[in-house]
Amino acid sequence: MTLRPKLLAGACTLAAIGLAVSGALAKDSGFKIMMTPKWTGFPYFEAAARGGKDAADELGDTFVYAGADHADVSLQVETLQNFLTQKPDAITLAAIDLNAVAPVLKEARKDGIVVTTFDADAAQDARDMFVNQMSYKQAAKTMLDCALMDSPDGGEVAFVAASPTAPNHTAHIKFMKEYIANDPKYQVFKVVDTQYANDDDAKSYDVAVNLMQAHPNLKVIISSSAVSAPAGARAVEASGHAGKVYSTGFALPDAIKTYIKDGSEKCFALWNPYELGYLAVYATHLKLAGKLDPKPGTTFKAGKVGEYTVGDGGEIVYGKPLMWTKDTVDKSPF
Amino acid sequence: MSQRLPQWELTLIVLTLAAAAWSATLSPYYLSVGQILYSTRQFVYPGILSIGLAVVVILSEIDISLASTLAFGGVLFSKFSAFGVPIWLAVPSVVAACAALGTLNGVLVARMNLPSLAVTLGTMGAFRGLAFIIGSETGYTSFDDSYLFIGSEKLFGALPVSFLLFLALAIAIGALMRWTVFGRRCYAVGRNKEAAWAAGIDVARIKIEAYALAGGLAGLAALVWIGQYGSARGDNADGAILFVVTAVVLGGVDINGGRGGILGVVLALFLLGTMRNGMGLANIGGPTQTIVLGALLIVGVLRPAIFRAVRRLYRLLTPRPPTHRPRGGPRSQSDYDRRTQGQTRKFAHMTRRNT
Repeated sequence: MTLRPKLLAGACTLAAIGLAVSGALAKDSGFKIMMTPKWTGFPYFEAAARGGKDAADELGDTFVYAGADHADVSLQVETLQNFLTQKPDAITLAAIDLNAVAPVLKEARKDGIVVTTFDADAAQDARDMFVNQMSYKQAAKTMLDCALMDSPDGGEVAFVAASPTAPNHTAHIKFMKEYIANDPKYQVFKVVDTQYANDDDAKSYDVAVNLMQAHPNLKVIISSSAVSAPAGARAVEASGHAGKVYSTGFALPDAIKTYIKDGSEKCFALWNPYELGYLAVYATHLKLAGKLDPKPGTTFKAGKVGEYTVGDGGEIVYGKPLMWTKDTVDKSPF
Repeated sequence: MSQRLPQWELTLIVLTLAAAAWSATLSPYYLSVGQILYSTRQFVYPGILSIGLAVVVILSEIDISLASTLAFGGVLFSKFSAFGVPIWLAVPSVVAACAALGTLNGVLVARMNLPSLAVTLGTMGAFRGLAFIIGSETGYTSFDDSYLFIGSEKLFGALPVSFLLFLALAIAIGALMRWTVFGRRCYAVGRNKEAAWAAGIDVARIKIEAYALAGGLAGLAALVWIGQYGSARGDNADGAILFVVTAVVLGGVDINGGRGGILGVVLALFLLGTMRNGMGLANIGGPTQTIVLGALLIVGVLRPAIFRAVRRLYRLLTPRPPTHRPRGGPRSQSDYDRRTQGQTRKFAHMTRRNT
């Protein structure tokens, strides 16, 4: 019977060692997190990268940001493949084509790499989490609110999307159409056209000019492309439609400052890409450290940007719109 | 044509080796056989398009609609897969359909005598539109595994099947251009269309055949695409044509036709692939990469001028007996001889065939 306590003590020691080992295995910092945007050099994604870097620095992780300088899905897959070769702990990306990036992302997940998308999602089974800037409904509402500031009496509106395949743009347009059909606040509007400009500055300009020619009573051109909305403002001013037609949607403050200041435009919207990138990297870190299980209903605190709840399908909605008007356009936080 | 390895091809090999050495210093992940082999899949689909384009450019024409033809082929594959058509039937059907699009280009260019840049600029939009109409807006992803094999499988854990397909196609088209009547006629037409016609070559027909060949190859590139990216959508490979043209020009194919070969294009792809792989692994920013690749393209375009300058420099530095000919004066007999000799050499490959 004297053997018992000894055995017990031995078991305890073993358990203690086991705990210590598992504690050492579950790292809390020093992860290698790699981020690729849709394309580099665009101030929006550069701000997101700064946010991601700050979060990584705060948490003691290594952060790498790289990508091609134009939105080409085969180049993005090449970048992701190069990431994989460098064996990171996690990859965050803004997907150009949700399906085409899926094979390489699935390969990454098979290797135990955590995959987080931000700004634009990939196929759901190819990533762990998606940090969405705004729910599609919220984005649609925000843009319509801006359109109401431009033209309080409503009138004809036209939409400009990147392409019929851009998932966020098409969803925004769908919800804007629903609001205009059903919500009394927005029923003053009438949808007359939808055009595609491929996130291209020159094309967006031409599309805006054509829209104004085709619809003489057009009041507002709405685009959730941060390239097309400012190009629309330029077209409005250049074609002498200032004060008659307005362009609105999502835009970087620097791109639309002049139009808001000279009064030809009244309102654009966006969110803070810096915080979006910060949140994406922060959530990724928590997942790596075993502190976040991205199941619906889980709440977590993401450092300085606040508290968030995981939604269906591992989606985390950032959801803080910023409106650029005469009073706010100079006070951009990024 | 000289049988030894031409100067430019040799230069490309040296540059590729230099780029590989540079890449090894850039990133500790570069120097591994598996990594290098696996990275080749990134330029297989533009590579297959480049081989097809090279044949068209040798004929002194251009085809910028090839990336759109690829998108058309991709969505066509998705339809075949959705209807459960076996792969051995789907591949020849899609290749034939894409070759038909190429034939349309060829007919417009060669029979209607329209400028090829304008024609293929138009069909670039038209074929992509067709791809959007056939494909669904969200893209197709439920391919049967047999459709994905070529583009996604790798042998021995690293060697992509698609790369083997690329090599096989390159060798086949290279042999076609070098050792067959078709190839020799292509060079003859590219150098001097009128002379080729006078020699009894059906210029229009050979151009149509070249466009059909390039289109058919784009169909095979589509097979690689769907395997590699697991999806097909109307906007696939949008913007890829720039890289394709870069590879052809850098590969030493004269944009005015008649000169250059498939070997050069393949070597240029190796060089471009090595540079992109190395810079990518070192996480070098996109703009820097574009500048480096753009500089390479300029070198490719200026290549004849650079060689001329080097030759002139060489001539200046090596003393020779002075030959005097007054400016604008009558040309000497020796001048005339030299020129005719050049022509005889130029058409040696045709006369050889006739004897």
